[in-house]
Amino acid sequence: MRGKVAIVGYGRTPYSRLKPGEPVLTVDEYIAWAAELALERAGMSKSDFDGQGLGVSHAEVAHTVNWSAATAENLGISPNALIRGDQGGCSATSMLIRAATLIEAGVIDRALIVGADTPLSMPSLAPGLPLSPERTRGVFWDFQGPFGVMGATAQFALILRRYMHEHQVTPEQLGKVAVTNRYHASLNPGAIYRKPFTLQEYLDSRMLSDPIRLFDCVPIVNGGLAYIVTSAESAKAITDRPVYVLGFGETNNFYSGSRVFPDVTVTGFSESAPRAMEMAGVGHDDIDFLQPYDDYPFISMKTIEDWGFCKKGEGGKFLEEHDLRFDGDFPMSTDGGQLSGGQPGGANGGFMPLVEGVTQLRGEAEGRQVPNAGIGAVCGFGGIPYGRPGRSCISVILGSEA
Amino acid sequence: MESIAAKPLPDITDLTRPFWTAAREGRLVMQKCPSCGTVNFHPKPWCIECGDRGLEWTEMQTGGTVYSYTVSHSVAMNHLGWQAELPVIMCLIDIDGGARMYAQVTDVAAEDMQIGMRVKAYFEPISEEAGIPKFRPA
Repeated sequence: MRGKVAIVGYGRTPYSRLKPGEPVLTVDEYIAWAAELALERAGMSKSDFDGQGLGVSHAEVAHTVNWSAATAENLGISPNALIRGDQGGCSATSMLIRAATLIEAGVIDRALIVGADTPLSMPSLAPGLPLSPERTRGVFWDFQGPFGVMGATAQFALILRRYMHEHQVTPEQLGKVAVTNRYHASLNPGAIYRKPFTLQEYLDSRMLSDPIRLFDCVPIVNGGLAYIVTSAESAKAITDRPVYVLGFGETNNFYSGSRVFPDVTVTGFSESAPRAMEMAGVGHDDIDFLQPYDDYPFISMKTIEDWGFCKKGEGGKFLEEHDLRFDGDFPMSTDGGQLSGGQPGGANGGFMPLVEGVTQLRGEAEGRQVPNAGIGAVCGFGGIPYGRPGRSCISVILGSEA
Repeated sequence: MESIAAKPLPDITDLTRPFWTAAREGRLVMQKCPSCGTVNFHPKPWCIECGDRGLEWTEMQTGGTVYSYTVSHSVAMNHLGWQAELPVIMCLIDIDGGARMYAQVTDVAAEDMQIGMRVKAYFEPISEEAGIPKFRPA
């Protein structure tokens, strides 16, 4: 599959925190807006996707059943294949893999992939919090909420605490991720929080669920993203800057060790990343940047470890010893990531590493452009299983040349 | 719009009722697989190791070891019933001979919490029908 498909367009709408006076867009409008931006960049129109593929990510505000087909109806596109993203923060990358295999099999030649959500305008018993009914019903919730599990931050704090018990990592090392992401956000007009903060301000930020602080968490936003993927042959006719999918790997419901008492310090990237790199035929030294799914700084750190950029347990030291800025020796989260860029719903934040990776490899990252970027690693990380991190872990290698 | 409960209450189903009823009576039960012996938790439709649908609710020991913990200082899910208890110490506890579960540990200062700490279950009623296990240092 190496180099068989390429991304030829992408779009990311401005994000909203619903400040007073801002227009309140629906999820349908965000999807259309993101699709329009991707189509414009590719020089294509929506009619190019009649008889082709349409991928639609889950939205917690999805207001009807058959969400992908309903979205086709809303957009006035009549595709021959619908792809549904249902893997949380892996939805964007999983739809890339599904589209690639459909294209390679000759079922379709191209697909428009969209995702948007408006978690801040969700009807909820807890205004301002994305407590969609699907999160607070059923056996998963019944064996968490009543026991005192208060959201993702508490769940991830348990994972981080265990890691800290087995390995060394300091708040200063993790804070470097948050500070660097904010620095990158200051260079990205699309990021939601752009005022730089210092390591001391990170350390002073309110402890939410010890050891996770406020500045370890993503700001939730309303927004949408999209991209277009097509066969390598078609890509060359569409753009002079296609971004090729060189390799991918996917794990779902990964366990390290026993299923009853698993080791939570290891993620599924430990299996999906080596597969992606093998398919791409690249080594760690060939990779010019990493776009992790940075829902928390320590997840970026574990991603670095499980991709094999350093050994398990040495992620904190790695963060300390490397310059994570766009022009440093290990550029990471160069758009500000979700930590400072914003998370447009749990299922759509995963578009951001992919879109930023493509932006970098097309040389379109302006004030935050990684010098001579030719090969990049991007990640999806989706869903929180019971007592473990990351239901789905997808690793993708992108390249500016096939 | 319906109001939000002070603390979340489970929607009890036939699948999960034995757990809640047992906890109301002061017992901890988990599903054990008659074929391979795997203890499944939370409740599953079949054994996650071997796929046997005949999982049997089995009484567990009430002792366990803290696998990890976090100290929650804010109520993140708007169930304000937690507010009075903050900071809430949430744990992953490895039940002796059982499986790993989320549970609250009480009767201990946050600064005294340690991974590897031995704890023992106690049970609190949360409704007419249901109880919930919590833990305190053994």
